[in-house]
Amino acid sequence: MNKNRLVGAAASAITLTLALSACGNAGGAAAPEETGPGEVRVWLVGTDTPPEARDYLKKTFEEANPGSTLTIEEQAWDGLVDKYTTALAGSDAPDVVEIGNTQAAAFTSAGYFREITADEFENLGGADLLPGFVEAGDWEGKHYALPYYSGSRVVFYSEQVLGDTPVPTTLDEYVETAVDLKTDDLSGVYWPGQDWYNALPFIWENGGYVAEQAEDGTWDAGFSSEGGLAGLEQIQTIMTKGNNAPSDAQETDLQVPFCEGKVAFLSAPSWIQWSINAPEKPEDPDGVPGCASTYGSDLQGLALPGKDGGAAQVFAGGSNIAIAQKSARPDLAMSAYEILLSDEYQSILAGIGLFPAKTSLFEKVDQSTSIGKAAAEAAANAKLTPASPKWADVESQSLLQTAFSRIAAGDDVKTVAEKLDADIEAILNS
Amino acid sequence: MSSTLLDPPVAPSHQEIRQKNRTPYLPWLMLSATMILLGVLTGYPVVRLVVMSFQEYERAQLMGLPAEWVGFDNYATILTDVDGFWTVLLRSFVLMVVLVVITMVIGMLVALLMMRVGKALRLLVSVGLLLAWAMPSLAATTVWGWIFDTQYGVVNNLLTAITGDRWFGYSWLLNPLSFFTILTCIVVWGAVPFVAFTLYAGLTQVPEEVMEAAQLDGASAFQRFRLIQVPYVRSIITVLVVLSMIWDLKLFTQVFVLQDIGGDRELTNTIGVYIYQMGMAQGHYGLASAIGVVFVAVMLAIAYPYVRRTLREDEQ
Repeated sequence: MNKNRLVGAAASAITLTLALSACGNAGGAAAPEETGPGEVRVWLVGTDTPPEARDYLKKTFEEANPGSTLTIEEQAWDGLVDKYTTALAGSDAPDVVEIGNTQAAAFTSAGYFREITADEFENLGGADLLPGFVEAGDWEGKHYALPYYSGSRVVFYSEQVLGDTPVPTTLDEYVETAVDLKTDDLSGVYWPGQDWYNALPFIWENGGYVAEQAEDGTWDAGFSSEGGLAGLEQIQTIMTKGNNAPSDAQETDLQVPFCEGKVAFLSAPSWIQWSINAPEKPEDPDGVPGCASTYGSDLQGLALPGKDGGAAQVFAGGSNIAIAQKSARPDLAMSAYEILLSDEYQSILAGIGLFPAKTSLFEKVDQSTSIGKAAAEAAANAKLTPASPKWADVESQSLLQTAFSRIAAGDDVKTVAEKLDADIEAILNS
Repeated sequence: MSSTLLDPPVAPSHQEIRQKNRTPYLPWLMLSATMILLGVLTGYPVVRLVVMSFQEYERAQLMGLPAEWVGFDNYATILTDVDGFWTVLLRSFVLMVVLVVITMVIGMLVALLMMRVGKALRLLVSVGLLLAWAMPSLAATTVWGWIFDTQYGVVNNLLTAITGDRWFGYSWLLNPLSFFTILTCIVVWGAVPFVAFTLYAGLTQVPEEVMEAAQLDGASAFQRFRLIQVPYVRSIITVLVVLSMIWDLKLFTQVFVLQDIGGDRELTNTIGVYIYQMGMAQGHYGLASAIGVVFVAVMLAIAYPYVRRTLREDEQ
């Protein structure tokens, strides 16, 4: 019996040692760099990047690198941080990845992205690249993730739905109009409870803040500050009295209720105009139907009005793009990266109303329509979430989504705000 | 030694000595495949889990930065985290008890039903149970999520039609209590088939004569159930309870998906999801590992009676 145990123990020990040493090697020296044709995987998130841009990327890359292939794999914004945390650390990591600008710091700080050297940076656009977004992708003075595009939210409305109602010029009017317009069948503002991006302007316009860093480095969250509470009250008024969207829903497929004619105002990323203005019968069998002939035909845009008129300070939405540290072919990845930041590619993004990664290309964004004008006004006054690498953890825990769902469900604003602040501070100060 | 006093002592043949002293290679050889697989798939992750639980292991370490040893710091952090770890653990336990009780009661009732009904109906019930059993929990949870959908869900639709009040927009998942009610439905729905089939198999082994004799002696149906059927299947019930406890504590998919559809994560976290959020989502692998180790210990304590019982039966 004893002997058997001994043999058993020995066998397990051998197995474990083998397994452990096998793994120990994997993290060690980098494999010699390959050259020649290969495969590159690009991860783009959501449907923001239009098909023309995707085709252009693939075609240009494969022409420049004969024999190599480029695959675009679309990821979902939901759970992106979780997914990247594991996928980018694994042996099967993608080569080039898009990441939300507010999430980038979690990865740049942990060595997930390949450094963009000063020479490469100059080559890719240098000072022409959007400064705020370059900063979002920097860590300790080095570049890791560069801007991909930016796009602040625009308030959409269809003239036939709005009718004679005047377009609001201040934030208070916006709230009032939403409440006035609401019926069982019409949302004044269509606002699913989990959509926190649209909530931030109300906090900022009322003098509140998300979180600020004190001299000693500790963070103080400001939803329960005086301005924060005033903003939350306004948010709750719209959500509960001017809105039919579910309090627990996410901001996906917003064009669907809009195309049913059940929405007066819809605050959404500017590219959603193409989803609304899509044909009723999509050409692609998997496509989502739009309403080009009805509510899309007189679609207008408006920059969310500020407290005292003008454009409100809105959330600076957008993405950064980076090369994964574990990319098997950094040479090919860089080739794809250069295309993604090229003037031609970025002009395609500008063509659908996104603000390109380079300031010199801003003029390519069509500002002759009210939507383009609104997008430019909003972008000029956009703000970011707190610049902490731990901010991504706040997002991945869905703290804001949950808090705003509760506000939409009618919970006491002060209680929700105090709890949210405590939770945010716990993460940022951990 | 095969020699006795009666036999003249004969020196054991060369052949015999070799046989006695030779290490039995064959059994180990045959076991080796299993052991290697277990070692790689279970042993190594467990060792790694324990190692990581004593290290500061974050996203940067995952990318190759050497991990620092921090002793019992991770354990100290989680064991003093009343609002986080202890609340989640307690919640998981309460949920587990509720789930196990409901699963066992319904499972037993279905098993008894299958004893009573005719052949055709039994077949129908079996097929129904098998379908529920075969349904992947991810798919099942998604469909249940649609049933309770805030805007387009069947439940809100029916309630509106029946009560005349406007139920559209009522969020079932945001309130933790109704969240857990729906979760209970999903988990019990998926767990009952196995329990029902196993109990049914056990109940069919109760001898007809004993039941008949009891009936003649005037025992009521409930008395027959309590005094004859239950004692006969007692060991099966024990095993099912222990297994259900383990499964229900390990719950992940259903909770994770429902939270995604629209629950308040903090108020509905169970231990499995909590570990995922700590580790995968927030990148605190060290802390998550420490919770994992504590959780393994808890699970082993629960599984102990089951293992002991199995071993005892083996010895008999």
